[in-house]
Amino acid sequence: MKIPGVLGVLLPEDVPDTRFNCSGNPPSPLLVKDERILTDHPLYAGDRIAAVVAETPDACYEAIEKINVEYEIFAPVFTVKDALAKNAVSIHPNLAKDNIVKKINVEQGDIKKGFEKSDAVFEDSFHTPTVQHAAMETTSCICYYTLEGKLTIWSTSQTPFQERRILSELLHIKENNIRIIKPVMGGGFGSRQQLHSQHVGALLSKQVHRPVKMINSREEDMYASVVRHESDIYLKIGVTKDGRLQAFHARVYFNTGPYSSHGPVVAAAASRKMQYLVPHYLYEGRTVYTNAPVAGAMRGYGNPQLTFAREVMFNRIAKKLNMDPVHFRLINHVRVGDSFPPGNVPVMSCAVEECVRGAEKIKYTIDRKENGAVRDNSQIVEAWGVAFGCHTSGPSSKEGMSSCIILANDDGSVRLFTGFADIGQGSETTLSQVAAEELGIELSDIAVTAADTQNTPYDTGTFASSQMYVSGNAVLRAAGNLKDNLKQALIKKYKVASDNITFEKGTVTISFENSEKIMTFKECVQKLAFGLKETVLIGNASFKAKESPPPFAVCWAKVTLDNQANTAEVKHIIEAVDVGTAINPEIVAGQVEGGMGMGFGYAMMEKVEIDKRALKPISSDLLHYKLPMSMDMPKTHVYIAKGYEPTGPFGAKSVGELSTIPVAPAIANAISNALGLKINSLPLSEIIVPSGYRSG
Amino acid sequence: MDSKLIRIEIEVNGNAYHLFVRTGETLLDVLREKLGFKGTKQGCENGQCGSCTVLLEGKPVNACLMLAVQVNQKRITTIEGICSNDRLHPIQDAFVTAHAVQCGYCTPGMILTAKALLDKNGTPDDKEIREALSGNACRCTGYTKIIDAVKIAAEKMNTQKK
Repeated sequence: MKIPGVLGVLLPEDVPDTRFNCSGNPPSPLLVKDERILTDHPLYAGDRIAAVVAETPDACYEAIEKINVEYEIFAPVFTVKDALAKNAVSIHPNLAKDNIVKKINVEQGDIKKGFEKSDAVFEDSFHTPTVQHAAMETTSCICYYTLEGKLTIWSTSQTPFQERRILSELLHIKENNIRIIKPVMGGGFGSRQQLHSQHVGALLSKQVHRPVKMINSREEDMYASVVRHESDIYLKIGVTKDGRLQAFHARVYFNTGPYSSHGPVVAAAASRKMQYLVPHYLYEGRTVYTNAPVAGAMRGYGNPQLTFAREVMFNRIAKKLNMDPVHFRLINHVRVGDSFPPGNVPVMSCAVEECVRGAEKIKYTIDRKENGAVRDNSQIVEAWGVAFGCHTSGPSSKEGMSSCIILANDDGSVRLFTGFADIGQGSETTLSQVAAEELGIELSDIAVTAADTQNTPYDTGTFASSQMYVSGNAVLRAAGNLKDNLKQALIKKYKVASDNITFEKGTVTISFENSEKIMTFKECVQKLAFGLKETVLIGNASFKAKESPPPFAVCWAKVTLDNQANTAEVKHIIEAVDVGTAINPEIVAGQVEGGMGMGFGYAMMEKVEIDKRALKPISSDLLHYKLPMSMDMPKTHVYIAKGYEPTGPFGAKSVGELSTIPVAPAIANAISNALGLKINSLPLSEIIVPSGYRSG
Repeated sequence: MDSKLIRIEIEVNGNAYHLFVRTGETLLDVLREKLGFKGTKQGCENGQCGSCTVLLEGKPVNACLMLAVQVNQKRITTIEGICSNDRLHPIQDAFVTAHAVQCGYCTPGMILTAKALLDKNGTPDDKEIREALSGNACRCTGYTKIIDAVKIAAEKMNTQKK
């Protein structure tokens, strides 16, 4: 039976049966290859079974309707608890009989001794939900496989070079014949730090000899692309009676869905975000297979989950010890020269005290404006809650790498060629600022060609808040190299010694015996480059990160509870950040505000819900999945500390992921303080009704 | 599917277009695929995100929820139609000033919704702005700078009027 407009169909037997891992991380033994391009053994509601290509979307839908799939249905497991039950079905019997893909154990000191030495020990279990990135542009690609065997892909991509490598292995095409281009992109937040549909698109294009466009519907994005790991966390913390941390034991189970994807790397990354000093530390991360949606990278990468549990627990500890919650955190916090457990890599910048002061000043102003600190009568109770957070600048595994080529034009303006992918956070702007500053030219003198595997040099990718620090260091060094090359050309032209040429903020001074010649960078280029002149001026550099300096954040949330209506309104969120030098303070503030928005949603209302009867997620659109809208959002307040990271470009660290980390626990602590209740799970809408503008 | 073609006349950004459309075709499809107004973004196709907001006779609508046949003889404004003589509209300008744009995907819809608000209420307060924008989702900004931008735009437009 032929449907008009249908051009081709792919079934599992038509595509390479190679197991692979879709994660856009550099190769690692933690990335288990357990996924197939198309499968005849689907393991969740979003699995890929067959692909249809047609001239119109309608013809595609019609053809899909006509495909009959016979399923043999097994009992699914959706939660960590079910997957670890004694008689649970093994989802990948060959890889993980007990459904635990990988175990990550990280240790410092002797955890048993630590608890023995403690005056008080606190323990509890926590749960965080599955959430989705909900980037405004859904995941998509256009793939064109030509008869000459060249593959060009335009796609929502955070990691074009990693995606090229995986595709090359999977489809047996040399990397020089694969071109991945990231166009302007409508957000990412981690969801495109991986291969999504490009393999299927490429094979369909190969079959029909035409470009093939694939655009996810919102429903497909919600549960058939990628989500943040649901987690079950067990935490045990020992302290001395004066509030010093002695022992910290965390066991975290991450629900990775039926494919491990980023899972074990997320579990490993979560172990490296403990910003407090503790002599005895034990972290056990477990990545667990289930039949829930596949989890992968999402803003924070394991950090939001554990930070939620830790900071909620710290609230309880401070209360029990009758200590101020900020003071309790500060006396245990790392400072310059200290290392995060379990490491020996000293922190080189930390402006946490300034963050505390900056946030408290804003808090004081709000309280004064709102007539008194907090209201507390029988019906309306107001309270503040606080949490700290940190993250990383570039992968905490120190795999961050980037490179950049800078080409000077005739008139002294320049073009940067670099592999990093701006996905809406503004990295093309901030990194242009780095180049402009180093060369002493205007921002408008800089143009950028980025994230195109044919025309730009390698970058690990847009993840782990890498761009400012890792890519920024590459841009800075490439600009430095351009200056060096310019200097060499000047030496040749003016026949002076190297010492006689100095660069100072875009001004070049050449000292002769009795005189000086002063020119701008642009004048030099105009004198030296192109035509009948001396040379073409190019600078280039690559940068391999040796560190991943942590940025820090202090977050306060103010809530109003209505005891009669059982509603909670988050009125204010304050976040103070130490991001080193803020190269572009407006972009930093925008990242912090956006992070607060995402953290607010995580705290209050977001959850991908799986219906036990339908045996699949029902959060299939933006009505059932509660994304914060303008009416929901509390007032946000940002403070940027004057930090300086010695290894960063002009002192900069990262901000993108950091900003969302401490928000949920700050809100949870505020609600806990107001309610006098213990909080152990998110979203808080499960215990109290969120209110605010939206409810009137 | 619906193969019947119906002739419609619409005015988009001041220009008249005569088109043949299928009965099931949405205004969003027509604007993007037939007329090339790619500034109108597709985010959900369900009227839940507001990315495809355009002005229909000056009022904001989700283009994904309107059938093309419904807008016959109607006047439509897309983001491409609000700047004049290559100069940004004051609201666009305010979005730049306030750094209210990150990935930019929600921006056209936000700006058109803001325009509809400011055209009927030149001095909206915080709550009125939030209410007006409540059908436009943004995942990047947390809305703070977008709300600031609308306030800046209101001031600008009021000064221009005077």
